Amino acid sequence: MSIVVEQIEQQIAKLSSKAIKKNTGTIRAVADGVAKLDGLSDVMYNEMVQFPGGAIGIALNLEADEVGCVVLGDVSQLKEGDEVQTTGKLLSVPVGRALLGRVVDALGRPVDGKGPIDSKEFYPVEKIAPGIMVRKSVNQPLFTGIMAIDSMIPIGRGQRELIIGDRGTGKTTICIDTIINQGRINKVGLASGDKSFRPVYSIYVAIGQKQSNVVRTIAALEAAGALEYTVIVAATAGDNPANQYLAPFSGASIGEWFMENGMDALIVYDDLSKHAVAYRQISLILKRPSGREAYPGDVFYLHSRLLERAARLDGKGSLTALPVIETQAGDVSAYIPTNVISITDGQIFLETDLFNQGIRPAVSVGLSVSRVGSSAQIKVTKQVGGKLKGELAQFRELAAFAQFGSDLDAKTKAQLERGSRIVELFKQPQLNPLSIELQAAILWALQKTYFDSIEVKNVVSAANSLKDYLTSRKDALLTKIRNEAKLSDEIEAGLKAAADEWKSTFAAQ
Amino acid sequence: MRGDKKTKLLAKQLFKLSLRDGQVSSEQVAGVLSYIEQAAPRHALALLKLYQQAIVTELAKSHARVEHAGPISAATLQLIASAMTKKYARPVTATAQPNPRLLAGLRVRIGSDLYESSVAGQLATLSHAV
Ligand SMILES: Nc1ncnc2c1ncn2[C@@H]1O[C@H](COP(=O)(O)OP(=O)(O)OP(=O)(O)O)[C@@H](O)[C@H]1O
Ligand SMILES: [Mg+2]
Repeated sequence: MSIVVEQIEQQIAKLSSKAIKKNTGTIRAVADGVAKLDGLSDVMYNEMVQFPGGAIGIALNLEADEVGCVVLGDVSQLKEGDEVQTTGKLLSVPVGRALLGRVVDALGRPVDGKGPIDSKEFYPVEKIAPGIMVRKSVNQPLFTGIMAIDSMIPIGRGQRELIIGDRGTGKTTICIDTIINQGRINKVGLASGDKSFRPVYSIYVAIGQKQSNVVRTIAALEAAGALEYTVIVAATAGDNPANQYLAPFSGASIGEWFMENGMDALIVYDDLSKHAVAYRQISLILKRPSGREAYPGDVFYLHSRLLERAARLDGKGSLTALPVIETQAGDVSAYIPTNVISITDGQIFLETDLFNQGIRPAVSVGLSVSRVGSSAQIKVTKQVGGKLKGELAQFRELAAFAQFGSDLDAKTKAQLERGSRIVELFKQPQLNPLSIELQAAILWALQKTYFDSIEVKNVVSAANSLKDYLTSRKDALLTKIRNEAKLSDEIEAGLKAAADEWKSTFAAQ
Repeated sequence: MRGDKKTKLLAKQLFKLSLRDGQVSSEQVAGVLSYIEQAAPRHALALLKLYQQAIVTELAKSHARVEHAGPISAATLQLIASAMTKKYARPVTATAQPNPRLLAGLRVRIGSDLYESSVAGQLATLSHAV
């Protein structure tokens, strides 16, 4: 107790020794979460401004005779003539391990009712992205646990891969599955005691989403045991646009802490379309000039400076970004989608048609690319899945033709048969990421034509039975694949023995 | 609305005309006012308000308002005035304004700057810090 009193006394002594200079202003008008202020002649761009009643603002427009400022928090208490003060600080958020397992708002304040967050460090929300010299090329894999992605559109640590698609095509699901997969890998890796194992911590930033969806996401992560490796930054649809505008930047700062401290992190921005809308709203109220689709001219810069913060740093860690964009009727040439496509290192395109046909995850293999990830793919996946992308593309082409003609030659028929089996095999229920070794085993079986004799409609159940068989009986083999990460003669022999045995039991059913 | 672009520009020009040696001069202001009366420009009311705002802001930069709780001597005021004159490199006058809510100490406002050395201010800072 006495220590506390002493601390307060010290603070008083410090304060009373000299006058504190502050810069002040008055509120001229408040509307729609934005305040126009007189005075504040010393305010800096992006500086935090203190309003009466504890609300905080950020100075965004500095003009000759007034300052435009977005208000974070309750604006209902503010009125014309109220005095505001500069703080001399740029907006910063708490960072560190203490945030893992927590849900915070755009300012890093806990909103999950689990008590205060004990974090000692703060990072500014706006940070200059790492320069060219300190970056390292992307060559370590980040497994999503989704077979279609890991085998054909691989993602590397430090990469920025866009998830793009119409409403309700499973964009969020892919991100959540990826986070869950990191949780599983972390558990196994940390338990193995391997010193070189690098866990991946996840940050999920929910922007402008319905509160009920965010609650569902949190519950899914918790049920899968991944929440303890995850930080959730939530600025839901009910939050004011200033919070929605800030949330991804706060999330990036939280992720950067892991990167700067030699760890690997993954950040999901779900989604940047709603982020752009929030920014447009702020800009229109601040009377900034608007351009295409009424977005302000700097919306491109907004997203590029955010996504450039994802990187792999030499001698430190990495930050991988999965931004999400929602398209309207599959139109990727709209303003925000084209912008973000041009800033990222590839995209995973989800199609409504595929989704409705029951092909889920609805990844359109032809339109999806990963520009850097293949150098991060492990050898075994390359060995068993290297040709899949081409085969699938060929299949789509042939399937389109096959609709018109009935008499097909044997080779075309075989290709079609095989293609439809690959499509079936890539179907994967949600919240069910597959480990990379299991993916490799299944793709190996596909490559060695184990599925060719199985009817197309039974491929899914056959694959499930093979997975069950391998996980329940061939654990040692799977571990071996995971550790060696390439097909050796010994592993192939093991796989062959296992697949033969499984095939005989499966056929007997 | 605070007038359109032209009105803003005119107000700015009139404000510049009101300065002599970087100081607001009453003669110049009188001249500007009589010009406004004669020329009767569009949006005269908005123009006058903008002009007034500019002049008030300018005057506030040369005037230290010293809020105090308890007595304050003329010498202290003079001290503040001369310190501020030096700091801002322009003649600054100081006037006292009693404000018992400060509890003790002083609070000096000049332009949009505020120098806080009152007990109330310290308590507020402390309550933010804790
Ligand atoms: N692999 C899958 N298997 C089965 N159902 C799925 C799969 N992926 C997604 N779904 C279902 O599809 C629906 C939409 O998924 P999700 O919310 O991930 O889409 P979204 O693109 O993020 O939607 P929104 O545009 O609303 O954000 C959900 O009800 C989800 O359960
Ligand atoms: Mg979603």
